[in-house]
Amino acid sequence: MPVPPPESAAAVADGPIRLSARGIGKRFPGVVALDKVDLTLRGGEVHALMGENGAGKTTLLKILTGIYTCDDGVIELDGHAVRPRDPRDAQRLGISIIHQELNQVPELSVYENFFLGRERRHALGWLDRSAMREEARRWLAQVGLALDPDRPLRGLRVAERQLLEIAKAISIDAKVLLMDEPTTALSGDEVRQMFRITRGLRDRGMAIVYISHRMDEVFEIADRITVLRDGRFVDSRAAGDYTRDALITQMVGRPLPEFFPPETPAVRGAELLRVRGLNVVPRTGKQSLTDINLHVSAGEVVGLAGLLGAGRTELLEAVFGVCPPSMWSGDIAIDGERKVFHSPRDAIAAGLGFVAEDRKGQSLALGRPVGENVTLAGLARFVSGGVIRLRDEAQGIDAAVRALRIRTPSAATPVGLLSGGNQQKVVFARHWLTQPRIFLLDEPTQGIDVGAKAEIYALVRELAGNGAAVLLASSDMPELLALCDRILVMCAGRIAGELSRAQASQERILDLATRFGHGGAQDDPRKATTA
Amino acid sequence: MNSTLLARPAFRKQVLLHTAVRFQGFLGLLIVFLLGVALAPVKDETNLFLDVTNQMNILRYVAETGIIAIGMTLVILVGEIDLSVGAVLAFGATLTAHLLTTTQIGTLLTLIAVLISGAAFGFVNGAVSSAFRIPSFVVTLAMMSFARGLARLVFGGVAIPLLAISQGGAAPEDAFFVNLRLGGVLPVPALLMFGVAIVASLALRYTPFGRHVYAVGGNPVAAHLSGVRVEFTKVLVFALCGVLTALAAFVHAIQLNQGAPNDGFAYELNAIAAVVIGGTSLQGGIGTVAGAVAGAWMLGMIDNILNLNNVQADVQLLIKGALIVVAVALQRLQRRA
Repeated sequence: MPVPPPESAAAVADGPIRLSARGIGKRFPGVVALDKVDLTLRGGEVHALMGENGAGKTTLLKILTGIYTCDDGVIELDGHAVRPRDPRDAQRLGISIIHQELNQVPELSVYENFFLGRERRHALGWLDRSAMREEARRWLAQVGLALDPDRPLRGLRVAERQLLEIAKAISIDAKVLLMDEPTTALSGDEVRQMFRITRGLRDRGMAIVYISHRMDEVFEIADRITVLRDGRFVDSRAAGDYTRDALITQMVGRPLPEFFPPETPAVRGAELLRVRGLNVVPRTGKQSLTDINLHVSAGEVVGLAGLLGAGRTELLEAVFGVCPPSMWSGDIAIDGERKVFHSPRDAIAAGLGFVAEDRKGQSLALGRPVGENVTLAGLARFVSGGVIRLRDEAQGIDAAVRALRIRTPSAATPVGLLSGGNQQKVVFARHWLTQPRIFLLDEPTQGIDVGAKAEIYALVRELAGNGAAVLLASSDMPELLALCDRILVMCAGRIAGELSRAQASQERILDLATRFGHGGAQDDPRKATTA
Repeated sequence: MNSTLLARPAFRKQVLLHTAVRFQGFLGLLIVFLLGVALAPVKDETNLFLDVTNQMNILRYVAETGIIAIGMTLVILVGEIDLSVGAVLAFGATLTAHLLTTTQIGTLLTLIAVLISGAAFGFVNGAVSSAFRIPSFVVTLAMMSFARGLARLVFGGVAIPLLAISQGGAAPEDAFFVNLRLGGVLPVPALLMFGVAIVASLALRYTPFGRHVYAVGGNPVAAHLSGVRVEFTKVLVFALCGVLTALAAFVHAIQLNQGAPNDGFAYELNAIAAVVIGGTSLQGGIGTVAGAVAGAWMLGMIDNILNLNNVQADVQLLIKGALIVVAVALQRLQRRA
């Protein structure tokens, strides 16, 4: 995997030290979350903070923004020792944060959110709405947002809401900007816009901390990388000094020679899934699908690429029976036989398994034990005479936990207490147990750490090796390129093209993914099919 | 399996707290019992609270709330709520008295008819909430008014006295089996409560239905995507809650020798209190039937202790209120850990 050089390597180590955190320690009852961690931020650099889940990145950010106070260590901002008491205090000092769960009020308008907690007032204490509108408009223009300040926040895209937060940070003259996975919900274009603005802020001397699980983005945007592991400082170097492999090795503490499993010769079997002329008109707010044609054979991993909102999730959901039959038309054939699923229940019975995009929201009952979550879909095999054979079930759970190497104290542990990667393996275990012949995977490695990702990759290969058909939707292009035999690229609810393993590259995927403009295509999509 | 996780003290603490909340109903029950023994007045060298007859009276008194609380547990486990149980009980109790005194269908058919009426109310609650995607809070709030109105309208708005023929009434003698005591000790209503609790506990643990109840409450989307019939499960649970409320209504009418459309006032609050004190999460997905019975028992015991010590009834309300807050605070504490 070639590493693109940082765009302006000259910026590295040039600026003055803005923020210096030294020897930061934080203990929670029984756990050392951070142990003597150092972080030095210079003005005019984008500084990536890397580490697996649980490495301490978020704890460190929370200390810098005053959500936690540190037990040891000092934080210096422009040479003065500071100790933020709360996020508001941190903001006053010049430290702003943008995170995924934005602290915004959807019911209020753009300008009301912009000035939330620091409203402009007239002399008599009345709100000065016109001043706030005008000022908000000016700041928003700085990040390239031409929004009506009166628009309610509710209808805004995530990207717009993040830009709003960035504008807010600029408006209060932040010296340090902390960005916690800002691109997770953004499309390719939006990511590029976000990067453009981030670079602009960097060039104006701001120190930016950037956290992301997406390696390629980190190498594209970061000037410097600091690695944490198990709450400890591991290393800090210029981004150009890192290779992808070296970075992963530092993050997990051991080399991962087989991050992507070696390609196994595909033993192509019978065609298990065929979709012909599928049109879907879903509930409002979701992408409609137009004339989808695809097929997946036994032993094959077929990728679904595309920008956010291209319709990948909608496609998988339509195949899995999540949309009622009244919402779609066309043909879905399993094993050559036409099927109409009225619910996921029917789809599971027909041999399909679906790992949904949102692990916590759609896949797991977090408060319930690991075991119950594992057997939720395949409970029937442990039932005779209407009664669950608990002992057989326990054995089945045990086998699944071992086969998928799920790290859990016991099957009775609430699944919400496990790490993200292990939670995702529980979801896989659920479908491993029902032994589906067709797997539909929607962003199966989103938000999980490197080690768990490698295991999931190996698992996907293994499933295909055992004769399952896998349809894998992912925004992680290296993942698609490494795992898939073929890649279907979606754009605006259509399949914009198909790339064989040999043809596929990030550039070609992106090209196809942006083929039709937003809101539907003028071109005949069939002409776009390259395969 | 991996043992390093469990070795971490923070993790162990979390597991411990989990266990504590799971059994908070029983812990509370034990504490209240010991308090009762300590505080009870002693007469002729017998502890009035410990006296077997007194304990059995507590159980008899608790049974109605307990039976309803078992149904309410199911409803709360699937992440819903049923505010209509008090009104449904009033309808069921009045129907019991009406059928026993003005018809000749006998005790068994009366009981069956009453249970069916309860199932019907519950079914409507669940079906309307499901079909129109209205929160059960709203649907059952409406049913609370509707069922009571129906009881008054159909049965004439006055209490129907319910006396055995031997006592100058019109009801068959065998209906009063409810007032019997098993072995001369254990009151039939308590027996019914324990019987229903055992059946419900076994069903929750050993049947797919039980598993689905927990899954639907734990995460309805995940349950749906795993092939669980979410709406079906919910409607069934509401119907079961209605049936159990109707059973309590039958017991209620016989014990009070009347069926009145104005009875069962605020019963929903007692039932919900029992469930919550028993450690069941109002968010759904976590809780036990045994906890709810323990919660109801505990509330009854507290009432009894205060009565024995001549504390006025208003104080009982204060204590009940405080207990609910403590129970929920315990659950919050667990989630924060």
